[in-house]
Amino acid sequence: MKVIEIKDVNKIYNSTEIKVHAVNGVSLDFDQGEFAAIVGPSGSGKTTLLNLLGGLDLPTSGKILIDGEDLSKLKSSQLIDFRLRNIGFVFQSYNLIPVLTAEENVGFIMALQKIDRKEREERTWSLLKAVGLGDRLNSRPAKLSGGQQQRVAVARALASRPKFVLADEPTANLDSKAAKTLLEIMEKLNREEKITFIFSTHDPRVVKMARRVITLEDGKVISDEVKKQSNDPENG
Amino acid sequence: MITEIAWKNVWRNKPRSLIVIAAITVGVFAGVFSIAIMNSAIVQRIDASVNEELAHIQVNNKDFRNSSDIKSIIPDYNQVVSEMMSAPGMKEVSGRIIIRGIASTSARSTGVEISGINVEKERRMLKLADKIIPGTGTFFESETRFNRAYIGEKLAKELNIIRYNLDEEALSRLREKGVPEKIISGLEPIYGERFTSGRKLQKAVENLLGEKDYKKFINPVMEAAWSYREGSRIILTFVDINNIQTGAAFRISGIFRTNNDMFEETSVFVPEEELRKLTGLKDNDYHRVIGLLDENSFTEEATSEIREALSSYEVLNWKEIQPDLAMFADMMQQIYGLFMAIILAALAFGIVNTMLMSVLERTKEIGMLAAIGMNRRRIFIMIMLESIFLSIVGGLSGMAVGGTVIALTAKKGINLMQYSEGFEAMGYSAHLFPAIDTNFFIITTILIVLTGILSSMYPARKALQLNPVEAIRTE
Repeated sequence: MKVIEIKDVNKIYNSTEIKVHAVNGVSLDFDQGEFAAIVGPSGSGKTTLLNLLGGLDLPTSGKILIDGEDLSKLKSSQLIDFRLRNIGFVFQSYNLIPVLTAEENVGFIMALQKIDRKEREERTWSLLKAVGLGDRLNSRPAKLSGGQQQRVAVARALASRPKFVLADEPTANLDSKAAKTLLEIMEKLNREEKITFIFSTHDPRVVKMARRVITLEDGKVISDEVKKQSNDPENG
Repeated sequence: MITEIAWKNVWRNKPRSLIVIAAITVGVFAGVFSIAIMNSAIVQRIDASVNEELAHIQVNNKDFRNSSDIKSIIPDYNQVVSEMMSAPGMKEVSGRIIIRGIASTSARSTGVEISGINVEKERRMLKLADKIIPGTGTFFESETRFNRAYIGEKLAKELNIIRYNLDEEALSRLREKGVPEKIISGLEPIYGERFTSGRKLQKAVENLLGEKDYKKFINPVMEAAWSYREGSRIILTFVDINNIQTGAAFRISGIFRTNNDMFEETSVFVPEEELRKLTGLKDNDYHRVIGLLDENSFTEEATSEIREALSSYEVLNWKEIQPDLAMFADMMQQIYGLFMAIILAALAFGIVNTMLMSVLERTKEIGMLAAIGMNRRRIFIMIMLESIFLSIVGGLSGMAVGGTVIALTAKKGINLMQYSEGFEAMGYSAHLFPAIDTNFFIITTILIVLTGILSSMYPARKALQLNPVEAIRTE
């Protein structure tokens, strides 16, 4: 089942006199349960593409359909609500709310969705447990390591029960051990819970683990490779 | 949840928030306190005016105030009394005989207004009896075969009844008051000397002590040296009912001190029966009926009712008799407004500045919030709540400090005796008891919250203009 359909999308930035064709005629589909990496050198358009997928930015031309819903048809206020209900975000620099504890950071997004307190607490707890932070519920971000913060960010991204999670260079600021733990957690969530993850990344560790690798260059898709999985018994 | 985050955000940069809160506190305190002081001057003045001098409402014969004619009496005293008593909030009324005359001693003479009063009623109604200077006698309590008069200190000075003398008794009074021995011994050259006026004593003290100590100690010295011979007499001269010049000697029954120099200088109170004998006025012949209300707030209503019922009389309330007082009271309202406007404007700038800094500092975080699905309304509310919390905390702490200082100073008052001459010449007390009513506090709180809301608009709008994509990228 297709979660995301990208149809001939272009994104052109008109800054002063220089036109930047950041995304150039990209067409891609993503299915439920994918674990995909978008790779490419700096300036290849990975982040722009991710922003377009996340409804943070709108394409200059072309269509992006999420579960059949055309993002460009939504007003900006509807778009925010759409993001809240459908898309989980993990950012390169974690971006947790510094004044809230891990538990509150995860619960916050559900509060925005008006989920009642009891359900919020239960889900928060189980998510933080899933990312291996069941004992750090009451820690504020400043008391957590980078890897731990990014795991809280993953828990937060999942809290809203999104259709997919977009992760923009999630391991860029982590050491290899923390990056490995984080990737394993995400891979496990993907495998067991069928959660769709799409990364933009430079990181060979992420690329190695991804089951689909899309390579961009100058805003164009130059390769889209689905790997044979050895570590996933269900995906044969 | 948003409320909680906003509250926590206020405290994430503690020094900055505390500085703003302290600034708001100081501003609000300064405003509240200075208003309390100004207010107290007015309230005390109105209180004195109403309770010592005028009562709330006066009913006169229509011609009386123009002609000052002794024959312009109130034709039907009983009707006036019953109409006045039925007015809303009326507590008590009393008739007065009012005669223009001259008070004189062997040394001086001066024009005065002689009021023939019902001693018992006025003792209850007005606080004039309490204003007696201790040691100068009583409010008509001692019976003598002489006529008696109750006069103000200023008039007593004017008529040269008061002397200043640093005798043994005066010196021990000074010691009791805690005036340093050094100062007392510095005054030795004038021990026992009799000064016929305050000014002469002041000059002598200034020469002996020098300017600095003079300013500090002149008031207790004057107070202690004050003396007056009990039973001194003055002559009051006026015309009687037949327009024949008459007069009599009056023993000073007591001397009162108020904060109103004009009133002290021109008012002589005499028991009405003594004045009746001298003038030929009959029982129930009065020129004026004064009425005291339970509260100032009944003034307008009671005045208009009495005015309607007694259309052939002149009915005046204290605001009309002393328009300057009413004007001052009105002006106070405007000064309140101006003061608050200045304080709130300063407060608004402080908040806008702080919140703007806070928003710009959190560009990335706010961008992230927008990205993960916090809508514009919620972001706006969050920033607004932060501003409101800042202003409420600052405002409340300012009012707490202001309230405490007012409560502390209200007991003992703030003594501006150094400047007493200026104040009292205008009829204002130099001893101020700061006071402020609860309404003011409530209104101020509301205004502070409104200011918080208003001054959050700009920073909150600024936060909304952040593009999540740009914002997240900001490193």
